[in-house]
Amino acid sequence: MAETAGIVLAGGRSSRMGRSKAALEWHGSTLLRRVVGIVGRAVDGPVIIVRAPGQELPSLPEGVEVVEDAREGRGPLQGLAAGLAAARPRATAAYVSSTDVPLLHPRFVRRVIAALDDGADVVLPHVGGYPQPLAAVYRTALLETVERLIAEDRLRPAFLFEACRVRRLDAAALLEDPALAALDPELESVLNLNEPADYDAARARPAPEVTVRVFGALRRLAGATADPALVAAATLAEAAAATNLTLDEHVVAALNGDQITRDPDAPLVAGDTVAFLAADAGG
Amino acid sequence: METETVAGGYFGRALVVDLSAGARADVLPLPDHVLRAYIGGAGLGAWLMHELAPPGVDPLGPEAPLAFCFSPLVGTPLTTSAKFAVVAKSPLTGLLNDALASSHFAIAGKLTGHDAIVVRGACDEPSVLIVDADGPRVEPAGDLWGLSADDAETRLRERLGKAWRVASIGPAGERLVKYATVSHDGRHAGRGGLGAVLGSKLLKAVAVRPALKVAPADPKAVLAAARDLRKRSFGPATAKYRELGTLANLLAFNAINTLPTRNFQAATFSDAPRLAAEDLAEARGVARDSCASCSIGCEHIYKGADGKGTRVEYENVFALGPLCGVSDPDAVLEASARCDAYGLDTISAGGTIAWAMECAERGLIDAPWLRFGDAGALLRALDEIAAREGLGALLAEGSRAAAAVVGQGSADFAPHVKGLELPGYEPRTLQAMALGLAVNARGADHNRSGAYEADLSGRHDRLSGGAAHVAAAIGTEDRAAVMDSLILCKFLRGVFEEPFPEWARLLSTVTGWDVDAEELAATARRIVLAKRAFNAREGWTRADDGLPERFLSEPLEVGSGRSAALTHEQLDGMIEAYYEARGLHTSGLLKSAQIRDLRLGVERNSTRSISAAVP
Repeated sequence: MAETAGIVLAGGRSSRMGRSKAALEWHGSTLLRRVVGIVGRAVDGPVIIVRAPGQELPSLPEGVEVVEDAREGRGPLQGLAAGLAAARPRATAAYVSSTDVPLLHPRFVRRVIAALDDGADVVLPHVGGYPQPLAAVYRTALLETVERLIAEDRLRPAFLFEACRVRRLDAAALLEDPALAALDPELESVLNLNEPADYDAARARPAPEVTVRVFGALRRLAGATADPALVAAATLAEAAAATNLTLDEHVVAALNGDQITRDPDAPLVAGDTVAFLAADAGG
Repeated sequence: METETVAGGYFGRALVVDLSAGARADVLPLPDHVLRAYIGGAGLGAWLMHELAPPGVDPLGPEAPLAFCFSPLVGTPLTTSAKFAVVAKSPLTGLLNDALASSHFAIAGKLTGHDAIVVRGACDEPSVLIVDADGPRVEPAGDLWGLSADDAETRLRERLGKAWRVASIGPAGERLVKYATVSHDGRHAGRGGLGAVLGSKLLKAVAVRPALKVAPADPKAVLAAARDLRKRSFGPATAKYRELGTLANLLAFNAINTLPTRNFQAATFSDAPRLAAEDLAEARGVARDSCASCSIGCEHIYKGADGKGTRVEYENVFALGPLCGVSDPDAVLEASARCDAYGLDTISAGGTIAWAMECAERGLIDAPWLRFGDAGALLRALDEIAAREGLGALLAEGSRAAAAVVGQGSADFAPHVKGLELPGYEPRTLQAMALGLAVNARGADHNRSGAYEADLSGRHDRLSGGAAHVAAAIGTEDRAAVMDSLILCKFLRGVFEEPFPEWARLLSTVTGWDVDAEELAATARRIVLAKRAFNAREGWTRADDGLPERFLSEPLEVGSGRSAALTHEQLDGMIEAYYEARGLHTSGLLKSAQIRDLRLGVERNSTRSISAAVP
């Protein structure tokens, strides 16, 4: 069984934003596509989206699962219950995220997951003076507790935290991880977008800075691009464009020396290294 | 004689020369149903070995046959078709081995009027076999003994004439180094030690001269297909090979943690940029070259410190560079040139030396001079191997046999499968390839199983092998079986959008058969299983399908921080799934229906009763 699944709650009403947050564009991708990609990089289990009944979602990468809230508009515990139910057969815990966090970094997710030990059912970050229940890790065994609270109409996450063992991580504790301190020193991973003005501000921010390397015959196509090059790119497509490459069947990319992908919407975050290779790699 | 009944592109016969009997020559008829079942090249070679190799034969004994196998596409204008397979039981693995090489020998050899030339027996003195319209004959070649393959080829062509084409062995083959090559025009049928098989027969070279013509069934259609294929061969799918050659892999593989380094103790090499094609090509590249009938031109010649040009391939540089911890490009080029001159497989030479370097550093062998990163030690080791002197006598046997002598746990990090040293693809970070390396009949090999394609496609998690990887590994193995039998160069593979239908059309156009994709897929499976069946006959067991312990107990860490681990359970699971998907017994052996489909034994009587006859 995997250790940790990812659950992304996409079914909120977005009433203050006035439109579905899941489909909001950010640097050429959607918020939901970006968040599921980033969470997926940090967990070893399935990534599950919880949507409102019948909610339309933007395009998603292969392998992401979608489940529905049993009832719409009942708040995060309702979504959490649906996500935990889907994850429990395959994972002992789940990182739970909202969909409106464009600056989420996989290192933040890993830091929170790493803090889950035998003495805790929940790891709950506290950033900016607030608990962050939609940037937290929950044991999947909490499903019955969550369902009981829903049945009792006690729908606030605080009720759940009263009913289980919670390990709280403040900013200082989170930043004890030197890699997180380097990659997300302001802990903007939890910066969420509630109002149109929040969204406008987020859109005004530059794409993350990533390192791009180009190898083999692709260097000729990349022309004068330096190797390595620092570019601003929020997706693989943006990184390719910044180096004069097109992601066709002859080009693949390796992200941080790990997975090979040619998915143009694959999200990039600060500190990433993207290596573009000729797809015809044999010989 | 049989030409009216033989399919286009074939002569329908193999020449079988018994060197022990003063070149007594038999003609083995190759009936249409055999050719259609095995095509040519590696496939035909597998069938021939079933028919002609006595069970349990000593690969270096006189009874062992070795076949030069041609194919129906040879001699057509189809790009990259001038290739031949050398096939025998390997002295390195004790199993079936086919090694491919290219260029004019393929065309001239086939146009002697044979789809294969087989030698068995052994000469009384160093000799050459000469085959042309006058038939085969053996001539003394004491003056060539000791020469490099290249020099022997040059000398022989000076003696016989420029129309002759020569496949030769170098000093390593003469001294029975278990991974000696057979060479032609500077290219090697490299893997598995087939040069030692010729050396054991005291056969320095085979020289061939065209005597006959062979026509495809539909010459106009073949010409049109050749034009189309040639045009496609200039496209982006072959750009890598044209522009930088296979050495383009090195820096890319380093970036994705799949460049085997210091005997697979690491998968990145900090000095990789010193050996990278991206930079070396500009500083040292002096020429490009290509095989006969090839429009790709993948060969890149680099200038060494002495000003001489050396062909550079990824596998040379990986094995003699990072695998041995050597980063000096002059040393790697020199080591590569020495392997060429001696006739040594660079992969097995580098792998065996890297293993010995680790043994020396661990104090398991008494060779304080042998250290990772020491270019002088690398060159000395190559010299000693080729001469079978000093430590070279042990290392000439390959890493599996050497580890059996050294013991002390050194087998756990001897980098081989079935005795064949691993190529430059790290199995822990390429887990479809891990399966391909583990189960392939030839041993650890990247040309008969190109499963790394699946790992690098982005469609599978390359660090977590599973069911999808099994299907991908089988797919690449089947495609390789067809390409190695048609024969077409694998560097062309990217231009085929629908490989089996397109290859079936090519084969039909040349032969006149009505082969479709389904039949060709069945042929691919048959060829793969024929090799497995031969191995089973020669003592293969389930334990031979696997990887050395190092890969299953020493995880690597990739750049993202993720661990690249491959466990016994995981690999065994993939192997079992592979057997199931191939329709094999759980033991990995063929089922009776599969054995019947191999169509073996039907020619055995006619083989034995053939009278001496030459074209």
